[in-house]
Amino acid sequence: MATISLSSIHTSPSSLRLLSSYSSQNTPTLSFYSHTKPSLSFSSVSLKPITTARSRTLTVVSAFGKLSETEPIPLPPAPEEIAGKFPSESGVYAVYDQSDVLQFIGITRSIAASVLAHRKSVPELCCSVKVAVVDEPDRTALTQAWKSWMEEHIGATGKIPPGNESGNTTWVRQPPKKKPDLRLTPGRHTQLTVPLETLIDRLVKENKVVAFIKGSRSAPLCGFSQRVVGILESEGVDYESLDVLDEEHNYGLRETLKKYSNWPTFPQIFVNGELVGGCDILTSMHEKGELVGLFKK
Amino acid sequence: MASRGTNVVVSRAYRMRQKLQSALEATLLEIEDVSHQHAGHAPMRALPNAPQETHFNLKIVSPKFTGHTLVKRHRMVYDLLADELSSGLHAISIVAKTPQEVQQK
Repeated sequence: MATISLSSIHTSPSSLRLLSSYSSQNTPTLSFYSHTKPSLSFSSVSLKPITTARSRTLTVVSAFGKLSETEPIPLPPAPEEIAGKFPSESGVYAVYDQSDVLQFIGITRSIAASVLAHRKSVPELCCSVKVAVVDEPDRTALTQAWKSWMEEHIGATGKIPPGNESGNTTWVRQPPKKKPDLRLTPGRHTQLTVPLETLIDRLVKENKVVAFIKGSRSAPLCGFSQRVVGILESEGVDYESLDVLDEEHNYGLRETLKKYSNWPTFPQIFVNGELVGGCDILTSMHEKGELVGLFKK
Repeated sequence: MASRGTNVVVSRAYRMRQKLQSALEATLLEIEDVSHQHAGHAPMRALPNAPQETHFNLKIVSPKFTGHTLVKRHRMVYDLLADELSSGLHAISIVAKTPQEVQQK
């Protein structure tokens, strides 16, 4: 248990980047990105100049539907409705703003999930979306579909969608920064003006999700704490963490917390001031998909 | 506290089984000592003697869990094992189900 490697838990950043040269004299780089599964990885794909690629593009287009012939789907005002209006399958999608200007062409393992993520992060640029599900979505087929739409758009307008230009990170989900662990006191010899129990009580009530773990969140010292951190990170939830082994800054936390929560072991996870449980319960809820609802409340 | 591990007369696993079985009327009770898997982690290394019987996996099926949340079920188990937890038992991994939940699978 103690030897679980970090890399197996922290998934790689879920952004995919594809850089390729479009033409020889003017070589902008293109990027696309999928919001969902980080497992998909693309090696470099080169877009050929339109003149030579046209015949091939046509055959590709016939398989996926041309961008210009695809009907845009207006984004519903409520983000909850997105799942019902957009397919959850793999495919390509093109996001248009209020003036019907194409902003970004993306590739994804779940169209609905990506559209939802964009809608949340850049609502002002998301007005309608054209989508095409790719059957048998291996990476070659997906890349082909994406290329065909990119080539069609560039051929028609001479422009790369702004979101696909290199250096544009508007459509790329930034990996969440690792927060520092919270500390109860500035140091061991601090005279507390309130009982430790009160500090803990305030802490778990004022923060939505708090994890009391062994070790820091970037380097947990016990397998169970490590799994908890991995689950919280994979749920994408904003949480606070405290290292119960930090005797310098959290002196007395272990014993006081055990009494406060009436729970004898660590890690301990609190949501909205209430103890959810330890690693077993969190794991079980994670596997059943119950955490999403809990974190929303 | 840590040195007790060396003069265990009756094994902790045995005591745990007695306590859990009689209180929970378990239809299934599996107790697996996984202490060796944790011998290397920091809190265990900090102990003066090589600790024994510190980590267990428990699988308990009991009708007494019916109607209780996971947190409550785990608390029931922890309460029954309070003496053990205060005498060197470090962590237990608990799977707590009701007979009905097992049947559904």
